[in-house]
Amino acid sequence: MQVLVLHAHPVEDSFNAGLHQLVVDRLTARGHAVDACDLYAEGFDPVLSRQERLDYHDVGVNRAHVEEHVARLKRAQALVLVFPVWNYGFPAILKGYFDRVFLPGVSFDLVDGTVQPSLRNIRRLCAVTSYGGTRFRTIIMGDPPRKLVSRWLRATVHPLAKLDYLALYDMNNTTDAGREAFKAKVAARLDRF
Amino acid sequence: MRVLVVYCHPVPESFCAALRDTCLAALAAGGHEARLLDLYAEGFNPAMNARERRTYNDGPPADPVLLAHGEHLHWAEGLLFVYPTWWYGLPAMLKGWLERVWAVDIAFGLAPDGGRIKPKLQNIRRLGVVTTCGATWLVSKLIGEPGRKTLLRGMRPLFSPRCRSFYLAHYDMDRSTPESRRAYLEKVRATMGRFGATSASPSPLVGEGG
Repeated sequence: MQVLVLHAHPVEDSFNAGLHQLVVDRLTARGHAVDACDLYAEGFDPVLSRQERLDYHDVGVNRAHVEEHVARLKRAQALVLVFPVWNYGFPAILKGYFDRVFLPGVSFDLVDGTVQPSLRNIRRLCAVTSYGGTRFRTIIMGDPPRKLVSRWLRATVHPLAKLDYLALYDMNNTTDAGREAFKAKVAARLDRF
Repeated sequence: MRVLVVYCHPVPESFCAALRDTCLAALAAGGHEARLLDLYAEGFNPAMNARERRTYNDGPPADPVLLAHGEHLHWAEGLLFVYPTWWYGLPAMLKGWLERVWAVDIAFGLAPDGGRIKPKLQNIRRLGVVTTCGATWLVSKLIGEPGRKTLLRGMRPLFSPRCRSFYLAHYDMDRSTPESRRAYLEKVRATMGRFGATSASPSPLVGEGG
């Protein structure tokens, strides 16, 4: 499978970067063609510009600003997100990826003002993430990133795509053993990718 | 009331800019003192960098830009966000502003024993959101309105316990009409006029639970 792995953490030796490495290694070992897109390392600019906003609905022209990322997304058969949850959401750099790359004519078509998803090339979806908050607290807050992945993103890709949402909560109070157990869970899930 | 207006849209001639101007005019007319923070005009960089992340728990950020924005937060009694909802949430620019400015010793303090965080924005007694959504009301609810939850629930514990809030959205923007936009501007204007309304009397400023 052609897998696009999006990673969004600035610190190279962070736990999250370790998860990213684990994902890439595991998928590669299983014979998948991995396109590892480390948004920070690639210097991705998350800010949707004035010109991009003006071109937004102009299908064909809009993608010129992010041509390479559109090509990588369209080539992918699976999408894996590896990110930390900050302030109950995606880090800005990942939110900006969606703002700028998920365009009309790329991830959806606007028909009479209604969004019709069009990322049918993606048949497998996986999110690997770590939260500062506890599971309980996150549920009280509505767990926006989980809903975005399981409802919005899930509805954007192929209708039969399978989704795994793998989350480690309460990061700051986890033990080494807890983190290792989470990594083992991620590895096991990826082996069955 | 001192109100910090945080505005985030890349296009100066957008409908969102009209919303901002309506808010500012109505706040001034209501006798409020407003400060405008225009994140795009400032060229704010929303991506937290590695050094900032590494030292995040140690104290306030070193970047003077972030500290200046932190001072605005401490000056304010009311906070008003004006932005377009993109993919059900905050534009990356605004999301990154929260990540970088609402940092340790600005928005909250860390307990030495790893216990609950301590709110540091108890000066904030009013919170308002004025936004536009491409999605319909129903679809927005189905997805769970992440942008609304981030600001009204996620950030809320940092404010005064008696902080009241409102959330105004023009849904289904891609099918909006001049009439619907005008009506929305009018609703925004009317709500701004009551920004500092006291909580003792019935008020359109409804509290958001959780």
